[in-house]
Amino acid sequence: MSAAEFRAVSQVFGDFTAVDAIDLTIPDGKLTTLLGPSGCGKTTSLRMLAGYLSPTSGTILVGGRDCTTTPPEKRNLGMVFQSYALFPHMTVADNVGYGLKLRRTPRAEREARVTEALEMVGLAHLAGSRPKQLSGGQQQRVAIARAVAIRPELLLLDEPLSNLDARLRLQMRAEIRRIQAETGLSVVLVTHDQDEALEMSDQMVVMKDGRIQQQGSPQEVFPAPANRFVAEFLGYENFIPTNDALLTVRPEHLLVDPDGVASDGATSGGVSLPGRVTDLAYRGVDVLVTVEARAEASGDPVRLVADLRATTAPDLRVGGDVRVEAAPGHVVPLPAG
Amino acid sequence: MSTRRPVAASLAVLGYLVMIGPLVFVVVTAFTAGSTVRFPPDGFSLRWFGAAVGYEPFVTALVSSLELAVLAACGSLLLGVPVALAIHRGRIPGKGLLEGLFLSPLIVPELVVGLALYQQFMVGLGMNNFTTLVVGHTVLMFPYAVRVTGASLALVDPSVEDAARGLGASPVRTFWTITLPLLRPGLFSAALLSFVTSFNNVPLSLLLQSRDFRTLPVTMLDYVQQSYDPIVASTSVLILAGTVLVAVLAERTVGFAKIFGGINR
Amino acid sequence: MRTRRLTALLLLPGLVLLLAGFLVPAALMLLSPPGTGTADVFARLGQMLTDPYDLTIIGRTLGIGLTVTVVCVVLGFPVAYLLARSTSRWAGVLLAVAIFPLLLSNVVRTFGWLVVLGSQGAVGQALVALGIVDEAPQLLYTPLAIVLGLVQLFLPLAIVSSYSALAQVDARLDEAARGLGAGRARTFWTIVVPLSWPGVVVAATLVFAGSITAYTTPYLLGGSRQRMLSTQLFQYSSSTLDWAAASATALIMTVLVFGVAALSSALGRKARIA
Repeated sequence: MSAAEFRAVSQVFGDFTAVDAIDLTIPDGKLTTLLGPSGCGKTTSLRMLAGYLSPTSGTILVGGRDCTTTPPEKRNLGMVFQSYALFPHMTVADNVGYGLKLRRTPRAEREARVTEALEMVGLAHLAGSRPKQLSGGQQQRVAIARAVAIRPELLLLDEPLSNLDARLRLQMRAEIRRIQAETGLSVVLVTHDQDEALEMSDQMVVMKDGRIQQQGSPQEVFPAPANRFVAEFLGYENFIPTNDALLTVRPEHLLVDPDGVASDGATSGGVSLPGRVTDLAYRGVDVLVTVEARAEASGDPVRLVADLRATTAPDLRVGGDVRVEAAPGHVVPLPAG
Repeated sequence: MSTRRPVAASLAVLGYLVMIGPLVFVVVTAFTAGSTVRFPPDGFSLRWFGAAVGYEPFVTALVSSLELAVLAACGSLLLGVPVALAIHRGRIPGKGLLEGLFLSPLIVPELVVGLALYQQFMVGLGMNNFTTLVVGHTVLMFPYAVRVTGASLALVDPSVEDAARGLGASPVRTFWTITLPLLRPGLFSAALLSFVTSFNNVPLSLLLQSRDFRTLPVTMLDYVQQSYDPIVASTSVLILAGTVLVAVLAERTVGFAKIFGGINR
Repeated sequence: MRTRRLTALLLLPGLVLLLAGFLVPAALMLLSPPGTGTADVFARLGQMLTDPYDLTIIGRTLGIGLTVTVVCVVLGFPVAYLLARSTSRWAGVLLAVAIFPLLLSNVVRTFGWLVVLGSQGAVGQALVALGIVDEAPQLLYTPLAIVLGLVQLFLPLAIVSSYSALAQVDARLDEAARGLGAGRARTFWTIVVPLSWPGVVVAATLVFAGSITAYTTPYLLGGSRQRMLSTQLFQYSSSTLDWAAASATALIMTVLVFGVAALSSALGRKARIA
């Protein structure tokens, strides 16, 4: 059973195609992230799902019903905006209770549900405050409580953590996961941060230029990016062209051997290239080693970056000849081009 | 947007009709061949434009109006910009009060200001009407000079001025080479608003008129009361055209809407 | 010390002109016009506030002012709302069209109503042509004519004030309300209106103060039949040379305007706290 579904949905603004005929299923009771750089169509997709934008073509189903032309107020989806969009002229409790008031929920029940929602985000003590008096993190929690209070079919979050500082962001990742688990809601979260997507998702959807590049669980997507774009977006930095494919290896999986002798692994699907160290960057825990190597097939220069643990890194110097290697299990083949 | 918000859209259409509708009728009437202001007009001709341009009292009044508007705009900037500088950059107590004082001509009814100057200066002190008009218009334009340039001054980061001082510029040189160029859009807006407001002013110009010096709007007002021929329509169209020109100029330089953001509040 | 002196030097010329050319004459005019004294002004003021004729004029001025204010807000706010929320490129053009009249002479703008409402005007002729009436009715020199003229005059001001307030209301708040289940009308009344209320108060104040002190429009469209405070003031000061009466009228106008301004800033403050 799916919570929502996109069927060949497109969004065209003038001569710019923001979303290009995507098909997507949002699983029920799971957390799905839409991941991609700005302009990839992830926020546009979310806004179409919420009803703020009508698709140029295609169908959107929510809970199995065709919602393509339903206005947002009839969809019963809880949206959390990047800017939070709290109503500045209402108290925190009135903000959270706004949707319930519109649903004519009896006063007693409404108050109970407002308190419940605020307790869930740990802000019951601020019910009487104005949004302006709250910190960014607190405003974020109120926005979530407001969206959850209406018991929506789906909870939609548009870059919810981008306005928070780094420490708070890590905390809120766990918090959103917890709320998702407690409520059992289907959640769609838009983000441009791959770490956020990897850590939070049950399903992640990587987008670029209005198209879906790859989708699946983090455990499926991360070790096996479908193309160079996804690989780069997930932090794969080294791309080695061979005759029939493009190989990619993460910096932390490259080994640098100052002796320049090829090891056994290189022969059976691994990588082993000669090269010269062009830069060493010491970063405390680790050392970034940049090596100018040559591709075996074409002889073209390839720039490789290895991320070595400082304690176990061999003694290297800039200008030294080395051999760069990766074990077969760490080398991911991508479609060439 | 009209289909989704029918009530708001209907009200908006009505609003535009009231704002613009009468002007359309003025334009149509100005091209009549007949000799009365009536609708529909009798035929088409340009004769009333010829009449307007050749009607000596209007031409004289136009020159007077332009003269007064230029003097008032310059005067209010010359005296008002230093005030804006003092308020925004000086270390003085009671800045809010001071600014309020210079904005007060905007609140007091213009007719009251006109009456005060007429009574006290022209009747009381026997001052001539031209001097009184220049003083009155200049004072009336103070709010534009002080508020509009003040608003753009507030946008100039004082550290830019500090940087110039640090590089060896004297306060005066800093003002001429840094502050003033950055203020240019604000000065332009203020000058334009003052000029237009002074040109269009009726209450002050009406009370302070004399046979030798009266402005175009006052002269037109008088003319409309006495006879009812289309010369006022054609003159109105010429003023309309001139105003459109000013608006286009404003749009090209500072941005039309921006000019009005400053004064309205 | 040097900057103090410089600041004083910058302020002085403007301050002198403001005092000599505005504040002092205004105070003297209100309190002791030439040839009479403060007592006369207040005696005349007392008369005006009891005399039925003068009271009619004050009442008409206030009535027309209130009507114009209500109409301007009711018409201006929707225009501003549609313009502020529209993404169409026409919105910019329409905004410019709404602002433009602020630059245009009041005489020109008001003259248009003579063409529309005059006995040979468009409305009258249209009514005759349609056979609704036999003879064009007298539409000029009526309160309706004055209200129409003043609405045309002040609607741009109402639009601009409401627009700048509305432009500051984050459109995401509308979306958030709709996502929570509020329809367009509901969103408008529970979110948009409360948040832009201070702008509406400013708009109403400007329109009201402008309407009760405007001269050109009541002069051309009301004539001597529909006197307002402003046309009456001019009458006293130019035809009858009744200085005490002119000053008393000016005093009433000034008090009204300042009263409205004070009321508006109190309302605005309340809106900000709430």
